[in-house]
Amino acid sequence: MSQSHRIDGGQIDRSKTLSFFFNDQRLDGYAGDTLASALVANGVKLVGRSFKYHRPRGIFSAGSEEPNALVQLRRGTFQEPNTRATVAELFDGLYATSQNHRGPLKHDLLAINDFFSPFMSAGFYYKTFMWPKAFWEKIYEPIIRSSAGLGRLSGKADPDIYDKGFLHCDVLIIGAGPAGLAAALRAARSGARVILADEDFQPGGRLNTETYSVDDTAGADWASTAIAELSSMDNVRLLTRTTVYGAYDHGVYGALESRTDHLRDSGGKPRQILWRICSRRAILCAGSTERSIAFGNNDRPGIMMAGSVRAYANRWAATPGKRVAVFTNNDDGWRTATDLAAHGVAISAVIDTRDKQPLAAPSGAMIAMGSTVTDTKGRHGIRSITLANGQTIDCDCLAVSGGWNPNVHLTCHQRGRPQWRDDLAAFVPGGDLPTGMSVVGAANGALTLSAALKQGHDEAGSVAAGLGFKKTKSALPKAEDEAAEVAAFWHVGQSNARAWIDQQNDVTVKDVKLSHQEGYRSVEHLKRYTTLGMATDQGKTANMLGLAVMAECTGRSIPETGTTIFRPPYSPVPIGALAGRARGKDFRPTRLSPSHEWAENQGATFVETGQWLRAQWFPKPGETNWRQSVDREALQVRSAVGICDVTTLGKIDVQGRDAAEFLNKVYANGFAKLAVGKTRYGLMLREDGIAADDGTTARLSETRFVMTTTTANAVAIFRHLEFCRQCLWPGLDVHLISATEQWAQYAVAGPKSRDLLRKIVDADIDISNEAFPFMACGEITVCGGTPARLFRISFSGELAYEIAVPTRYGDAMIKALMKAGEEFDAIAYGTEALGVLRIEKGHAAGNELCGQTTACDLGMGRMVSKKKDTIGSTLSERVDLNREDGLTLVGFAPVNRDDDLKAGAHFVTKGNAATTQNDEGWMTSVAYSPSLGHSIGLGFIKRGHERMGEIVQAADLLRGMNTDVEIVSPHFFDPEGERLRV
Amino acid sequence: MSDATLKARSPLDGYRQQFGTLEIVELNGLALVSVATPLDGEEELKKAMTTAHKAELPAVGSSTQSSVDDTRFLGLQPGQMFAMFAHDGDRAVEFVAKKLGETGYYTDQSDSWVILQLSGADVRTALERICAIDLQDSAFPVGAVTRTVMEHLGTIIMRTGHDTFVLLSARSSAKSFLHAVLTSVNNIQ
Repeated sequence: MSQSHRIDGGQIDRSKTLSFFFNDQRLDGYAGDTLASALVANGVKLVGRSFKYHRPRGIFSAGSEEPNALVQLRRGTFQEPNTRATVAELFDGLYATSQNHRGPLKHDLLAINDFFSPFMSAGFYYKTFMWPKAFWEKIYEPIIRSSAGLGRLSGKADPDIYDKGFLHCDVLIIGAGPAGLAAALRAARSGARVILADEDFQPGGRLNTETYSVDDTAGADWASTAIAELSSMDNVRLLTRTTVYGAYDHGVYGALESRTDHLRDSGGKPRQILWRICSRRAILCAGSTERSIAFGNNDRPGIMMAGSVRAYANRWAATPGKRVAVFTNNDDGWRTATDLAAHGVAISAVIDTRDKQPLAAPSGAMIAMGSTVTDTKGRHGIRSITLANGQTIDCDCLAVSGGWNPNVHLTCHQRGRPQWRDDLAAFVPGGDLPTGMSVVGAANGALTLSAALKQGHDEAGSVAAGLGFKKTKSALPKAEDEAAEVAAFWHVGQSNARAWIDQQNDVTVKDVKLSHQEGYRSVEHLKRYTTLGMATDQGKTANMLGLAVMAECTGRSIPETGTTIFRPPYSPVPIGALAGRARGKDFRPTRLSPSHEWAENQGATFVETGQWLRAQWFPKPGETNWRQSVDREALQVRSAVGICDVTTLGKIDVQGRDAAEFLNKVYANGFAKLAVGKTRYGLMLREDGIAADDGTTARLSETRFVMTTTTANAVAIFRHLEFCRQCLWPGLDVHLISATEQWAQYAVAGPKSRDLLRKIVDADIDISNEAFPFMACGEITVCGGTPARLFRISFSGELAYEIAVPTRYGDAMIKALMKAGEEFDAIAYGTEALGVLRIEKGHAAGNELCGQTTACDLGMGRMVSKKKDTIGSTLSERVDLNREDGLTLVGFAPVNRDDDLKAGAHFVTKGNAATTQNDEGWMTSVAYSPSLGHSIGLGFIKRGHERMGEIVQAADLLRGMNTDVEIVSPHFFDPEGERLRV
Repeated sequence: MSDATLKARSPLDGYRQQFGTLEIVELNGLALVSVATPLDGEEELKKAMTTAHKAELPAVGSSTQSSVDDTRFLGLQPGQMFAMFAHDGDRAVEFVAKKLGETGYYTDQSDSWVILQLSGADVRTALERICAIDLQDSAFPVGAVTRTVMEHLGTIIMRTGHDTFVLLSARSSAKSFLHAVLTSVNNIQ
């Protein structure tokens, strides 16, 4: 097929022929074509099948409002369904296939649906498929699922890459049509930073598709001169192929820029970029969208929007037909007839619903005023139309114009409601626009060229002045106002055949009437019941028709009937673009401790704790499962010495004259009198008295403390402390800064830990039990003068220390510790062994500090000082938090020592059924204790402290387990704490 | 006593790479010390700054530089600034304390951050992919500094030249941060 419908003129580059494929047929087009214009130029009318009835469908429009011409673009993993052919820029090698048919496009097997259309009216799926009940899951649903949906995904990972970004400007101009260009020129010449965004690859809007003149030059030439000037200005950023899809708070707009969709190969660069544009002001120049008229069989291929028909002729030098008829209710429709005639295309008829004097028409065209089209013929492409008087007229294209709707969508994204204008028979933006937005041009109801230019020019001038930019001489572009009178006309009542309102969703006039008949009076209900205005085009050409028919049914006016709410996005945004680069492991950052590389080299297995990767255990040759590694590590700590990376714990530097008083207020227990050189365990409560976090805080000087927090709560606690500092007690001299990243910290635990550390700390540091007792801390030096901090604290219950060095030395420090520990059989241990050791000691951790438990529950009730007012202390005294039969943290040992315990099991008194009513608490942490030779657990149970020795059930209904356990002290190992004080 | 000495490592082992005209360098040999202003102590600190460094206390969002020793002071939040200066040891706080005495509370932050310098004509084009801050001359002139977030990572950004920016982000996620920056650079090249 050789561009049989290509005509003279246009803004295509005929020197660059591009070959492309549609349903495997090779066709040619030119640079500057869209896929749709190239199909039109090649005389292709049938491009797809409708959603429900599988009716043959053709190209309907020339822009992003397209409901019909949806194709699958590209192949293999790059395949993308539901691409609008009208906005797909042609490139050499483009491969497109039609969608929504079984078998060949021309002979779709599912076209049979059309014969069953009486049974498939709006909401049919709510009324059918009821019986027999068993058929739903096995028969109806699978059939519906396989038939539903438009297009097919490849089912494979998307190989394209996407990116996001941020842009800033004084004035964002949305749309580069006549109003947008006039606004951009004026704003840019004033010195304002301007972003001009347009969804088209060729800015100019309707200046490119009409034959208007501006400043005595062709509109398209004026547009390219304007673009050239704007492109040369440093304060202007021109974003073509960019759709501003959403208006958000504070002048922020979402925009999708297509970067490589028009290229055969992305070259490894992002296909699309999702911009967040921060603007001081925005001028919406989004233009308007032509709407149709509903009449019998108005969905045949070749029936198109009148403005689009002349757009294909004027811009792309492609005529959708060789014998064209026009059906209009407004002056603009007549322009299609004259423009096409000027290209030598025969105009068979102009049918105008208005009973008035006809406008100038091409010679030879039959003129019918006050008439309508009632039906059409032509299965795969229109062949003729029938008028209300029964006259049949041959044509291969029918250009329909029902008037123009201002594109008000973005004005409604923050719940703004549009207002009705009778003279336009359309909605225009209401008064409640998003902050900083103004609207000009056709989007504001200025549907003629001169008016659009003037509004753009004037508004940009006042916006720039309002922002404080200089007034510059900027002449208003000169143009004429074309005839644009319209008389509302929505659907042809005489039509007996089905009249389509929403072509994408196969919604007819009859469906809307049925919806009303069945009681759906709200527009929102109408939408959901009929699917009017859903899917990729969001009813851009259909909504008004639907509203009008609904209004007719209810006897109300259109503004009384109302509109549905427009929400972002204005046009489809791929999920890939929303995800951007956040894919796979790049979904979120990873934090690594300075010993990570060393641990990797030791073969460590890692676990994610928050964003951190922590070594979980260090397998040794011959160990075949994790328990062997963890048991070995735990036993080695108990018998010799182990080293664990605790860098991830939160560290907060607290300084100031009032630092002690500050800590005394945020911790439940006392800190005011903590001596310099000492460390204390602290428990923090939430305002409601529930335990929030715990950790140790060391006093390094009179005015300086270092607080440690749990790894998971480091950020939350810092934020909480900042709130306390800034908002609760601004009069205190206290200053906070996170030091988590500053120090690499290692726990050195076990009976030989002191011996090991003596080989690390410098000679003048005495770490004997007398000089550096349990809970001591100090700033020291190690390895020949490197500054360090030493804390004698223990999570394992052993003689233990935590030693910290500046992070830059973290890698060297772990190696030095391991080297120094060789003679003491030192091992590295991970978080699992750390957990085993702390459970053996009965120390609470995240599982116990779970946001539901109090200091009393944790057995730390006496720590909550009654002598001072601290956060949470008052509400911790609530009666229900201090009940005699309240929860208590205790230990659990299996009666049968071979039984494994499971965290999450719930405790039930022996003999009672495992029901919610009988629930007495739950198991929080379990481990196999290699020191004791059986599983152990910590958990909360009612009156636990009174029930030592009682046997209860640990019921785990999820895993189908029920284990008898004995209530024991939570301190399984060295309950007197003798080992840590030696 | 140990016979070992500890060898320092930088977060990215001295990363440096050229991408066309754009260069990314990990800056090492810089000390960062947080200086917090004691309650009601701003005048004292100002005086000490003038005497010791001949520098102004920076307003939040801007930086000043000592004409005596090139130390930069980064105004990050009310009552807190960072002193940034050439120093390859681990005694940065002592250096600052020697100059400013007891007019501030000091915390060493030298090991808390990875510092990347991005320079070249395309630097703003690369940064606009991850940086929510307006980096145009009028909004973020040379010397401007602020805290922000890039790819979920807390970041301090400072403009040190017309086409040069210094980015500080948490040391533990240095590799993720570098990846975010490199992705931005690769996506625009």
